[in-house]
Amino acid sequence: MERHTPAIAVDDLSFRYPGGDERVLTGASVDIEPGEFVAVIGGNGSGKTTLCKSFNGLVPHFYEGEFEGSVTVAGKHVAESSVSELSEHVGYVFQEFDNQLVSPTVGDEVAFGPVNHGHDDYRERVARALSLVGLDGAEDRFLWELSGGQKHLVALAAALALEPEILVVDEPAAQLDPTHAEETYDHLAELNREHGKTVVTIEHQTEFIAEYCDRVILVEDGAVAWTEPVETALNRLGDLRANDIHPPQVTRTAEALGSSERFPVRLAEGVRRFEGRESGATPTDAGGARSPREGVEPTVSLSSVSHSYSTLRGGDRQVLDSLSVDLHSGDRVALVGSNGAGKSTLLKLITGVEKPDAGDVSVRGTDTATTLPEQLAEEVVYVHQNPEEMFVEDSVRADVAHYLSARDVSNAEERVDEVISFLELEALEERDGRLLSVGQQRRASLAIGLATDPSVVLLDEPTGSLDLASRAEVGRTIERADERVETVVIATHDLELAAEWANRVLVLDGGRVIADGHPREVFSQGDLLTRANLKPPQVVRLSTELGVSPVALDTDELATRLSGDEAQAHPLSEDQPI
Amino acid sequence: MSYLDSLRGTTSVDAIKTDLLRTAYDNDGSFLHRLDPRLLLIWYVVFLFVPWLFYDTRVLLALFAFVTVMAVLSRVSVYLVGLMAFSVVTSLASYAIVTAFTGDPVAAMRALLPFTFKLTIISVASLAVFSSMSPKTLARGLLSLGLPRQFTFVISYGYRMFPVLFQEYHDLVNSLRLRSKAPDSPGRFRWRHYVYLLTLSMKAFYPMIFNVAKRSRVTVEAMEARGFSKSLDNEASRQLQLEDMRVRWHGIVFFGGSLVYVGVVATVF
Repeated sequence: MERHTPAIAVDDLSFRYPGGDERVLTGASVDIEPGEFVAVIGGNGSGKTTLCKSFNGLVPHFYEGEFEGSVTVAGKHVAESSVSELSEHVGYVFQEFDNQLVSPTVGDEVAFGPVNHGHDDYRERVARALSLVGLDGAEDRFLWELSGGQKHLVALAAALALEPEILVVDEPAAQLDPTHAEETYDHLAELNREHGKTVVTIEHQTEFIAEYCDRVILVEDGAVAWTEPVETALNRLGDLRANDIHPPQVTRTAEALGSSERFPVRLAEGVRRFEGRESGATPTDAGGARSPREGVEPTVSLSSVSHSYSTLRGGDRQVLDSLSVDLHSGDRVALVGSNGAGKSTLLKLITGVEKPDAGDVSVRGTDTATTLPEQLAEEVVYVHQNPEEMFVEDSVRADVAHYLSARDVSNAEERVDEVISFLELEALEERDGRLLSVGQQRRASLAIGLATDPSVVLLDEPTGSLDLASRAEVGRTIERADERVETVVIATHDLELAAEWANRVLVLDGGRVIADGHPREVFSQGDLLTRANLKPPQVVRLSTELGVSPVALDTDELATRLSGDEAQAHPLSEDQPI
Repeated sequence: MSYLDSLRGTTSVDAIKTDLLRTAYDNDGSFLHRLDPRLLLIWYVVFLFVPWLFYDTRVLLALFAFVTVMAVLSRVSVYLVGLMAFSVVTSLASYAIVTAFTGDPVAAMRALLPFTFKLTIISVASLAVFSSMSPKTLARGLLSLGLPRQFTFVISYGYRMFPVLFQEYHDLVNSLRLRSKAPDSPGRFRWRHYVYLLTLSMKAFYPMIFNVAKRSRVTVEAMEARGFSKSLDNEASRQLQLEDMRVRWHGIVFFGGSLVYVGVVATVF
């Protein structure tokens, strides 16, 4: 009998980071077969990234902690092979697309690996790798002039240039807009199918897992809890939720409908399953026009605002192009658009740290062009998309207190205590914010925002790369802030969040607002979202396919309407929590 | 009132960044760029010594004219030129102030002027040479002259990280501004306001270094995951990095021409 060799074999792996009190991995065991497309899932801090970093030897060679058990990759023992040696077998694409790129141009970046290994056919390898990710001929382009999606593809091509049998990709969908995330997954699927690569992705978004992966590995408390084919895995709803993972919306809809069979996990299956059901109970808000607000002064007003940045070779890049929009008291705005559509720029204009090239921005009647950002900060709070940029002190507590102590607020200590206990940061308050985990950092950055007591809240990508629990925290923070806050704007490409929370969606594309309205109204216009590189949430697409009109915005609502039961019509309110 | 200064602040931050990037990378068309980096480095070493051989102001002026032409040809950043001019003027001013206490400032200035002039020639030559080479070319030049790859890689990587560093710093200053309180009254010439901004820009410095250091951890992992350390003692890899470096005839002509020019200038005056 032929001896069976898995692509990756992990046997009873335990690992403790140097200086750490607890083990991150506690006896993890799993085999990954050649040619498989596998998703590794788990909550923040479960050890899934550490597990994947052992596949190419970063653990234990770069983190010299306590390593027990064995990992065998392509027949080599990881503990005995160097990271360089393993790099020809395992390509690793990190989550942060900026920090892993080391060269100025695309060509140099992709050639980095082959040149390091002294492959004299490196030019052909670069051309082949770039064509695999659809970036043919991009060799001379500068990396900082590429979009986030393109940078991610360059990182993928750079890993592919070494022609590894195994690819490990860390959360490809987290920082990319839906269209670019799908494009990346399409490339991975092709590499898997046509070129026989073994693909391992770390992923939160179960919709991608359902569409693309064969098998799911759940990592829980440092060990592999189970590994199942994708259909079975995504039906273990209890396990998924216990690990802060959202099951696909189509699965949740079936669950709410209380079917006894196995739930569908992909959109097409859902359509087949639910076809022919009556759709009842038209929602009360029905996506109609918002009540006219003439005569009421808007909280934030942008009129004919243009803003541009200069680039190295392309001249000025127009980010916003005579954009006009008014935000009112009571608006919960989801500002959506692809990577680089100008969402962050728009928010920064409202804070006053950036000024428009042309046009006016005013906040509660104050023109931002003639007001210092420090003064505007009394009304507006901005939570940066990268929480690290919010930490300027050496402890979380000092960071939360910074705004209040700068203004000599009398009951500052009390308010800081209150915010810290609200976001459950007591255990972390003396620690340096920059050394926390991503989820903890996000929580601390929300606390910093909450301490300022503003009337306009701007959150930049608050759910980027976060799991269910962290998303709930964002929701709670908004709820609490709502007591005084008049207007909340969230810049995001998480349209599921937008659908469930917002009462107004602004779609940004080509420097303008191309759609403005209730989520129900905006999300039913699929073409428009496609134009902006976005994709309606799965529940909206399911509604459209099933002819449910107006579209449903969350799974409970869809289930209620599909059950055709008028009496139990989902109570639609604009203020439902996330 | 000039609340516009913050507007100018943000636009010029972007402008400086773009200008420095252009200086570093957008040099394909410049004359010096087409020369072999090794030749250029040797030329530079020669021009580090040449000014010290002459005392005649006319010779120094001629040398200055020569390196200035080189600097213009390699499209030096206006910000760097400005920075250099600033340091020359302030150092002259500081001589004047110091010597005012110790004796005759005019005589001292006259004595120190050729010295400063020589330093300026060297500075302009440095600007010309290093602006015309992309970080990669410079790194390859140094590698072929026998410097270790760890060192030469840092040059090209350092430049690559520069815009990231700049962006990080800008973000942190903004983050601080949004949580601090500007002085209530800016004072005469807004001095309190500027002192306040200066304090913030110093406060942002430590967090920037911290964040960048943290990010570079991923970078180091990413480099290793593509075999960086394999290149350190790999002859094939070294050959690939140096393969298309060649001294061409126009390089020789330029190098010879420079020496002839120095010779002619020295004999004429």
